[in-house]
Amino acid sequence: MIKTLLFNYFYQAFLPSQKGNIGCSFFVIMLISNLHVFLVIFEVPFYGTCNQQKTLKMKRLFILCLALSLVSCGENNGKTEDPNQVTDNDTIVQNSPVTIPEEELTTAQYEYEVVVPDLEIAWGMDFLPDGSILITEKNGDLILFKDGQKQQVQGAPEVYNRGQGGFLDVAVGPNYESDGCIYFTYASEEGEGEGGNTALMRAKLENNQLTSKEVLYKATPNSTRGQHFGSRISFDGQGHLFFSVGDRGDRDVNPQDLTRDGGKVYRLNLDGSIPQDNPFVGQEEAVKAVYSYGHRNPQGMIYNESTGEIWVHEHGPQGGDEINVVKKGANYGWPLVSYGINYDGTSFTDETSGPDFEDPLYYWVPSIAPSGFVHVTSNKYPELQGDLLVGSLKFQYVEHLTLDGKTVLAREKILEQIGRVRDIVQSPEGDLYVSVEGKGIVRIIPKQQ
Amino acid sequence: MKKLLTACLLIILCGCKNSSEEKNEETARVEFSPEMKESISRGAQVYNNFCASCHLSGGEGIKAVFPPLQNSNWLKDKQEASIHAIKFGLRGPIKVNGEEYDNLMPALGLSDREIADVMNYINNSWGNRVSDEVTEEEVAAIKK
Repeated sequence: MIKTLLFNYFYQAFLPSQKGNIGCSFFVIMLISNLHVFLVIFEVPFYGTCNQQKTLKMKRLFILCLALSLVSCGENNGKTEDPNQVTDNDTIVQNSPVTIPEEELTTAQYEYEVVVPDLEIAWGMDFLPDGSILITEKNGDLILFKDGQKQQVQGAPEVYNRGQGGFLDVAVGPNYESDGCIYFTYASEEGEGEGGNTALMRAKLENNQLTSKEVLYKATPNSTRGQHFGSRISFDGQGHLFFSVGDRGDRDVNPQDLTRDGGKVYRLNLDGSIPQDNPFVGQEEAVKAVYSYGHRNPQGMIYNESTGEIWVHEHGPQGGDEINVVKKGANYGWPLVSYGINYDGTSFTDETSGPDFEDPLYYWVPSIAPSGFVHVTSNKYPELQGDLLVGSLKFQYVEHLTLDGKTVLAREKILEQIGRVRDIVQSPEGDLYVSVEGKGIVRIIPKQQ
Repeated sequence: MKKLLTACLLIILCGCKNSSEEKNEETARVEFSPEMKESISRGAQVYNNFCASCHLSGGEGIKAVFPPLQNSNWLKDKQEASIHAIKFGLRGPIKVNGEEYDNLMPALGLSDREIADVMNYINNSWGNRVSDEVTEEEVAAIKK
């Protein structure tokens, strides 16, 4: 508890700002650098002569004093000049099995080639059997990249392009060869009320035109808030489609309420009907399409063939991005438990875990702002095979997480400084493609073998 | 020992109190019209909803990734370009406070009213002082 408190206050003091009240930050730094000295001063004389309780009491008094001072300084924007000093956090979290501190992040060099240039925000992409790429631009354009040429596909869904909303993911259906079905998620104004919410559409592509369009799901209510639409789409190989919707910026209302959309991972049959074994089908008021809940904003989703599970990663608040294994009916705890804090540096929960909540498989502090997720199965990249790739919007690289079963063993940056990474996909030929905002789509060139 | 602790606590509190007083003085110096005050307060909501996830709640941005809005020479010198950026998006490279930024900010889909409000908020927060009010009409007049 005290650890969590301290962690939050350290975090508050150090992370959110690069520039703050210099007087105050100086004090904070002084306090921290003196912390050990103080503890030694207090501990040594008492330790030998008195019982341990007294030492503890003194320690608590001191920690309280320190915490108080940090609170009061925090309110004055007391923040340090050096954002790298977040390392103080890691001493708090080092015992956790599910995170790896920033200092252990290594870098690997990879070459890449630009395949599709001049895109704005290519939010999603997927491959058709002929090797052409379907690309969703956030602003609503649907692009088919075929034989080296970009073509605008007609009849794309009307998107609500506001804040983080717009055209989101695209996924070519598992039975494309026989049924021609392609799935899309996007922010949509359809339905009652001002604003928008995430929709799932199924359509076919014929003569550069979307046809047989069916909206399979539309989350409600519409909201003018600009945050957290999700969304990614995946298939489990057993006739189900999974997709995500973020909490729509209403964290205290949506994610924990099973009667509402938002902050959920959904499971549908490929035709949009609700599987009768969905976890909340028997609950009268519940949204029947929900498969798991208590999510914040998942923008990465994979089907892990080796475990037979759907995995998501999701944006945390400030700190606390997570990878979660999606389990039937499970609650991932947002916003009741979290490894993060508010963007303004204040805390909203002391708890990182609880008996009613599913723990993450992995979490990031500080946040990397993950978007795009791949489980590499291709043998073209032996050093990545079996591992995870995660795009970082914030730090502008692709993160390679070495995976052993369900344990993340190591973090590695690849394509450092490439730009804001929005999506990552493995093509049917086993090549890895990365969508970079403002740049376009690039292919990671396999290393010489 | 206790005395030492108390003294330490007192010094800390004094240090913080002083800076908080300074801050209050600073914000009190500028007097806004009631309309401007309302615009700024609406703008704060827009900011937290649409801008804070990249530029952060104190407008400090992230060095070399998201430019700062707090004490930014670009914002101060290029008010029209700033409105244009919020309205239509902005593609780098730009130089802010001597640092190069080469990213893409998407158009945010805000109404002209919301853009005026958020400009007024940004212009008058975190020590920024551009007291000329940005109006809805001004935003509407800026074309792609």
